[in-house]
Amino acid sequence: MSEALDSLRQEVRDWLAIHAPKDWRGQSTSEAAFLELQRSWFATLAKAGYAVPHWPENWPGGGRSLAQQKVIYEEFARADTPRLLLSFMSTYHAASTLFEWGSEEQKQRYIPRILEGEIWCQGFSEPGAGSDLAALRTRAERKGDVYVVNGQKLWSTMGQFADQCLLLVRTSSEGVKQAGLTYLLLDLKAPGVTARPIHQIHGDEEFAEIFLDNVEIPVADRLGEEGQGWAVAQSTLSSERGLTLLELSARMRGALWRIGDLIRANGRGEDAGVLRDFGRLASKVDATCAVADQFLANRIAGEERVGDASIVKLAYSRTLREFTSLGLRIGGLEAQYHAPITFGGGMETGNWMADFMNSYAWTIAGGSDEVQRNIIAERLLGMPREPKNWFVKEGAA
Amino acid sequence: MSMTRAELQDAAAKAFDGNLTPDAAHSWNLIADMGWLMMAVPEEQGGLGLGRAAAGVIHQALGRTLVAGPAIAQMLVIEALSAAGGQDELLGRAMAGEVMTASLADGLSAVPDADRASHVLQVEAGIISLLPVGDLAFTARTTWDGTRRLFDVDAGDAAGIVLATGDAATALASRLSALRSVALAADCLGGADAALAMSIDYLETRRQFDRPLALFQALKHRVADMKTALVAAEALFWARASDTAADAVTMGAMKAHAAGVYRLIAEEAIQLHGGIGLTMEHPCHLFLKRATLNAVLGGDGDHWEEARGRQAMTA
Repeated sequence: MSEALDSLRQEVRDWLAIHAPKDWRGQSTSEAAFLELQRSWFATLAKAGYAVPHWPENWPGGGRSLAQQKVIYEEFARADTPRLLLSFMSTYHAASTLFEWGSEEQKQRYIPRILEGEIWCQGFSEPGAGSDLAALRTRAERKGDVYVVNGQKLWSTMGQFADQCLLLVRTSSEGVKQAGLTYLLLDLKAPGVTARPIHQIHGDEEFAEIFLDNVEIPVADRLGEEGQGWAVAQSTLSSERGLTLLELSARMRGALWRIGDLIRANGRGEDAGVLRDFGRLASKVDATCAVADQFLANRIAGEERVGDASIVKLAYSRTLREFTSLGLRIGGLEAQYHAPITFGGGMETGNWMADFMNSYAWTIAGGSDEVQRNIIAERLLGMPREPKNWFVKEGAA
Repeated sequence: MSMTRAELQDAAAKAFDGNLTPDAAHSWNLIADMGWLMMAVPEEQGGLGLGRAAAGVIHQALGRTLVAGPAIAQMLVIEALSAAGGQDELLGRAMAGEVMTASLADGLSAVPDADRASHVLQVEAGIISLLPVGDLAFTARTTWDGTRRLFDVDAGDAAGIVLATGDAATALASRLSALRSVALAADCLGGADAALAMSIDYLETRRQFDRPLALFQALKHRVADMKTALVAAEALFWARASDTAADAVTMGAMKAHAAGVYRLIAEEAIQLHGGIGLTMEHPCHLFLKRATLNAVLGGDGDHWEEARGRQAMTA
């Protein structure tokens, strides 16, 4: 088994030596260059069968074991290849949700197009529905064979470049708020759709807001039944909170050398305090990788419990904050001088202040750390839920 | 492994049924009768051949109910006798429960239950030997952790049965260090799990302001952080325990990580229990004391984290 893995590692290494983009960090400083690099690198990976190792085996490029996936991600991180940010939502969120909820016809229509480079984004959050996602108000009214949709979505990763959108809408206001939700697949080229990028604190624009003005979506593009949207959305969120983190935690482990290099470059290589902090971080990164592995093994064995994915996400987000924070600290004054960001450079680019600020994307997006803590305490550990009644101090509202 | 981890966990949980600090002598007989001391020894030497991961299950169970006794030290002696080869008679006696002990720190300090032992293992640079207690002097060192009985042993110029010398001794010392880290980490994780469960129970039962404390989000979030840290540390533990290639530094860093999580949970347990957690009659303090002792035994966090940092510098 481990011999087979060693030979896979060698195979990936040999392949990367020929195909991995060289010096791309220096070049990926404009949006156009970023898009070009992301598209060509994805196409190269798809052709070689390395784009979607986490997919099931009946799809091209899929069927890799957990151990094989880890080897592939670690080698990609070691070779410092661009992270597939543009197609991230397509190959994980969209694909996982389609595999679980899509009809045969929907799968055959959408999955192959993902491998051809079609870009998906997610339209869940709204200005009034962040942590309280189920309170969303984007309205879909059924008229014959279509839904007519009106509303606004926020925090759609890569939304300004996407072709398709996983859209969660309200089809009913009756009963509990979760029961009135429906899951639709939106073609972003449809009339009435406007997407605008959101400028983030580190200078990048990885998210967009999407405005929907009388947008028509065919009923055939609904995933699950009307009113089943919340359940379908859990499948998307579970993919985000657990599945993606095998790759991201392997990448974090593969990027530890950046901090090692920084320690050496700043003459701190014999500073016991710094070495301890680095060693402690390395163990945390190891533990994060181990918990992501364990999550996926349990998921494959059909033993995933509600809240397991939240543990993985919380472990990852806090460790990423510590990782970037240590880099920022050792980087000293030099890290405070502005340096152009690398678009699509991943979570650990070595531009420490930018990386540190970007780490908030993982403690807030995809369900904030606070939401994950609620889920872990209430759903996994069975502690009582918040009481419903509350009041606001007079004059505060 | 002929017995799955889950089966072994069940058996261990049944043997120590959740009552904290069970009687030491009774516990020791139970440990020997269940065959736990022969768990990691290869079958051709009369053991069960279940490896380190199985030993991990046992030490988790012992940590969970704060079992007293020299089980970790005994496992080290058994590992040394097994590795030395040709010591089947002594090995058989040790596996059957005749107490043979070893240091859980450096030199011959922090040796559990030396006064009840027939032999003490001595690990020195280039030579590892088993010393009969008749030739030794020992001083009891009372620890804050009342579940352990530690002694400083003075070997004088006593000579014992040589188990390994030269490169073989260096390799064996490294194996013993790794095994000690695994056992201590397992003890930490078992204790942390019990302390966390106890705290959650308390928060659900204790009422203030006309509601259970468990309703307060400020407390729930702390519990969620403790649970996350514990699950991640457990995942790391199982990954390492079944990795036969892991070296002493990798295992030591894993132990330091587990000890850190135990200490966090034990500290939080007292705070979350409030006033009752401060009292000797409530068991909260037992976890805190064992957690802080575990943190320094087998090399402390500063030692292993620095070593892991140096290792990561060259990775």
